[in-house]
Amino acid sequence: MDFNTLVERVVHDTTQVSLWLFAPELVLCVTIVLLLFVRLFNADRFIPTYWMALLGALVSFMFSLTQFYQLRTEVLDSSTFFTGLLVFDQFTAFFRLFLSLFLTFVVALTVLSGIPDEEDGPDFYALLLGSTIGMMLMTSANHLLMLFLAVEMTSVPSYAMVGFLKGRKLSSEAALKYVVYGAGAAGVMLYGLSLIGGLLGTANLPEMADRINMIVSGEAGMSDATVRTLMLAALMVLVGVAFKLSIVPFHFWCPDAFEGASAEVAGFLSVASKGAAFALLVRFCLALIGDPSGASLSNMYVSLGIGIGVIAAVTATFGNLAAYAQTNIKRLLAYSTIAHAGYMLMAVGALLVILNAPADSGINVHTEAIRCIEGLLYYLFVYMFMNLGAFAVVALIRNEIFSEEISDYAGLSQQAPALCICMAIFMFSLTGLPPLGGFFAKLVIFASLFKAGTVHWSMWAILAIGGLNTVFSLFYYIRVLKAMFIAPATEQSKRVAVPTIASAYIITVSVPVVLLGIAIQGLSQTAQDVANVILP
Amino acid sequence: MEVGLNHYLFVGAVMFVTGVICMASKRNGIGVLMGVELVLNGANVNFVAFARYTALGLDGHVIAMFVIVLAAAEAAVALAIALNFYNNHLTIDVDRGDELRG
Repeated sequence: MDFNTLVERVVHDTTQVSLWLFAPELVLCVTIVLLLFVRLFNADRFIPTYWMALLGALVSFMFSLTQFYQLRTEVLDSSTFFTGLLVFDQFTAFFRLFLSLFLTFVVALTVLSGIPDEEDGPDFYALLLGSTIGMMLMTSANHLLMLFLAVEMTSVPSYAMVGFLKGRKLSSEAALKYVVYGAGAAGVMLYGLSLIGGLLGTANLPEMADRINMIVSGEAGMSDATVRTLMLAALMVLVGVAFKLSIVPFHFWCPDAFEGASAEVAGFLSVASKGAAFALLVRFCLALIGDPSGASLSNMYVSLGIGIGVIAAVTATFGNLAAYAQTNIKRLLAYSTIAHAGYMLMAVGALLVILNAPADSGINVHTEAIRCIEGLLYYLFVYMFMNLGAFAVVALIRNEIFSEEISDYAGLSQQAPALCICMAIFMFSLTGLPPLGGFFAKLVIFASLFKAGTVHWSMWAILAIGGLNTVFSLFYYIRVLKAMFIAPATEQSKRVAVPTIASAYIITVSVPVVLLGIAIQGLSQTAQDVANVILP
Repeated sequence: MEVGLNHYLFVGAVMFVTGVICMASKRNGIGVLMGVELVLNGANVNFVAFARYTALGLDGHVIAMFVIVLAAAEAAVALAIALNFYNNHLTIDVDRGDELRG
């Protein structure tokens, strides 16, 4: 093949195939460039930049929706694009939809709450959109290089966003802690990736399972040096992902970063970067396992699944215990975020255990594995609304009373009833009380844990810990509501007048939380179809 | 003695461990960032060595190039944040950032 044909082929692949599949990210890229140019020509005096960011997010959402619909009606097929660096399937499309919808909500929230101010708008939205592009790439990564680039592209703008509040001591401290931990975790992850790439001789995710089987064909087990190094490398990569998910023991940054950052940024990081990191984790684990029936390391993967399950249980317990003692609402929500990452990680642990179940275990591996991923996707989708809602209430109340201490919320329900009732919905849904969305999401995950228990009993123990945690978490969520509804207003408390449009926003966010608890069929079926696509 | 893959991997591993120790023990914020650079470059040595000696091939070279650029970008943001910390705290000692706790 001569050089010209090669170039022609790449050009054709890029312009005819890849760019359309890349449309949601591309729209965000264009918006970022426009945002930076607007400042150059002083046009931001006439057009507020948030309109541009909002428009970009909406258009990106429309493209994601179209592509998701086209995939489901089989107008488009799953494929890899950009010469195999990225993969386009329903899983990718689902997460793009999730991320662009969430981005739209976050931009709308920043418009309502007035952070950032007019002058900083272009910078802030460029960072926000850039981080979202990174997350979208995380969900579609098909190559070790893309995996690392996407994680870094998500992280680097988020460091800057955490430190965005100017002249605040806490904000600068939070950003420094975040960047130091984040860069360290990324370095360890890259080292793990280098070992995996070198030992397997490929950087393509779909080829990894075959190469592993080639290496360990026969009786090679943990005693084999290559297998041990591979396991070590996989653990190093998981460290990087665990940092993004704020899993114990890599959670230290989370409460500090959330307390120092503004509530809008904390809400964005708590949902979007978790969602994208879970997508990456599922893809990476499935790439390691490959076709489970042919895998020669089943026992080791079951142990890995149990290990992940145990870490998930520890994370959920730690998050809930630490949240109990908090007086700052953002810190409380940060620990609650850690706990929720724990619940969701349980689904991944159950997935690994079920996929590698021995043939005589008597469970339908495919159906149960679908249930695990369905639980994860459903949980993420509900979590998006309920956690964003909680942070949005915090941001809007901060604008009124200039405080984020729970004790200052005393007597708020008389002055802002709509906000407080919605906060109650979010809190009950975060706890997992029926009939709200959080209940069904937890139910699916716990059901898959129960099934995984038939493969290995330890999953039942993890299920029990998860159940106990759910009950325990009610106490600290109730404490916030108690301050809002029962505690009498003190004399120093300020007059609160939340704008109608802000209340309308909060009510809009709370509607899906209720709906997803009642009308479960639609999202549940979609999540099952999505899961069906990526499972071997 | 012929220099082979294992020698390069050894150098990479030494850089990685040095970097991790540097990150864990330095109190100066800039020192911690230097540790991060060491870790990233240790991984880079691995990538280039694997590219030369194993089937990883060109992928390894390309990844190494991207990581070099990325390390520069990350250092730029990290130094800006360190400067911001210095402006607010008049020190770059990471242990002095102790107002966020609990």
